[in-house]
Amino acid sequence: MSTTTKSNTQLLVDGILKENPIFKLALSMCPAVGISTSVMNGILLGTAVLFVQVFSGCTISLVRNYIHPKIRIPTYTLTIATWVTVIDLVLAAYVPGAYKAMGMFVRLIVAFAIITMRLEMFASREPLTKSFWDGLGMGLGFMVGMVTLGVVRELLGSGELLGYDVLGFKPLLFFVLPSAGFFVVGLMMGFFNWIEVAYNRRKEG
Amino acid sequence: MKEIIKITLALIITCVVAASAMGLTFTLTAKAKKHNHHMNVHNAMMGLLGFGQDNPAPSDLELLSVYRYIVEDSDQKFLGYMVPVEKDGEETYEMVLIDLESNFVKKLEVPISMEAAQEAHDRASALDKVLSPNQSFIYADASVIATAGNKRIGYILPGKFPGFRTFIHVLVAMDPQFELLGLEIMEHEEDAGLGAEIEEDYFKKQFEGISYDKLKTLNVVKKPMPEEYTQYLEREQLTEGLLTKEHIAEIQRKYKDQDIYAITASTISSKAVTNGVKGIAKKFAYRIGKLDSVLEKQKIRAAF
Repeated sequence: MSTTTKSNTQLLVDGILKENPIFKLALSMCPAVGISTSVMNGILLGTAVLFVQVFSGCTISLVRNYIHPKIRIPTYTLTIATWVTVIDLVLAAYVPGAYKAMGMFVRLIVAFAIITMRLEMFASREPLTKSFWDGLGMGLGFMVGMVTLGVVRELLGSGELLGYDVLGFKPLLFFVLPSAGFFVVGLMMGFFNWIEVAYNRRKEG
Repeated sequence: MKEIIKITLALIITCVVAASAMGLTFTLTAKAKKHNHHMNVHNAMMGLLGFGQDNPAPSDLELLSVYRYIVEDSDQKFLGYMVPVEKDGEETYEMVLIDLESNFVKKLEVPISMEAAQEAHDRASALDKVLSPNQSFIYADASVIATAGNKRIGYILPGKFPGFRTFIHVLVAMDPQFELLGLEIMEHEEDAGLGAEIEEDYFKKQFEGISYDKLKTLNVVKKPMPEEYTQYLEREQLTEGLLTKEHIAEIQRKYKDQDIYAITASTISSKAVTNGVKGIAKKFAYRIGKLDSVLEKQKIRAAF
């Protein structure tokens, strides 16, 4: 009973561009504003979201016919919480080095709107393969968004990229402060919209 | 009504499945996690003793743990030290019971290997077998004695004390003359950017080299730290502008046995750590003195 006509690749690309969680769907803005102060943060949080999104999407897709419609949301939350806990425990046990940097972010994910929203909009209606590709696309889209924000803010705020000194000076400290997150996210949204408009216009004319 | 039952059942099943998945992962990863924790503590101990990549530990280095218990026998209280001993070439433990006036009461053999003694649970069940049923015991703390070639080279004392937020867990290292070798913060929940700075070199390295006499009156000062001292404390992080050896020695002399410079805007955390370290070190110095004299009088050949 698949309702989507998109191909798997289309799902993947849409998640990154046309339906980018941060810039187009405007979901999970708290982490986008709060944590995107450096590229590394973006990569770590992005990776964590990618895994949780894919795993929860697949789980919900598998049991989608058995979920009672009145308790959809608790079921989604439980699924996400379970996967977050599992990933948290596995990371702590087998990659303690990465866990030290990522641990805090992983636990945050339980409350991310983008994951619940994709489960509700997509995974609870579509078969496993489609849900997998949608999760992958959304996860990657989130990661791309976070990294883009991170590049702008880290470069302009602290003159560094991935912790390496690139500019040799700090152009505008303002960019690493929380309020700058709103500005950068807003400008990026505009930029993404502008690209889309320009692209559509060219296609037509 | 039927609907409610359906929903309840569905929720229960979901919760049970979720809980089982989490429980299963927890069980599967528990061993690796414990191992990581042990490795962390071990590495921290080695670091405090000054061993690392450029200065490998001697092959005869041994880290021997002494566990302290409070043993209650009807209305009497004793201190019970689980002391590692060597018996017929094998390392095992003996429980030395001391009364509150530090007089020897008796000793008991505790047949447990060094490895097994690291686990609180195994230790408790071994003690259960050797102590009489009307004696109850409570675990107090553990101290690690580092030896190399049958000579003590240092003590490492795990401990905890209240910080500004919650308990701060630390390792305090002392040399055999009770001079502080260093301090490592293992766990804390102080505020980031404020109290959390206790982890930073410029704070925790101030404790290195403080003599026991100074330690007894160690205090916190609320003054800006001199630039050269900061540089000296953070020397391991510097990539350029390294201090020369003579310069380091000079600063070391100049700032030896000084009070601790408090972290700006985190005096409570700074004081908590300073007093905590002071407490741990002073108590241990007192206890190990008493224990040593008892061991000597009773001719108990401890492994340290």
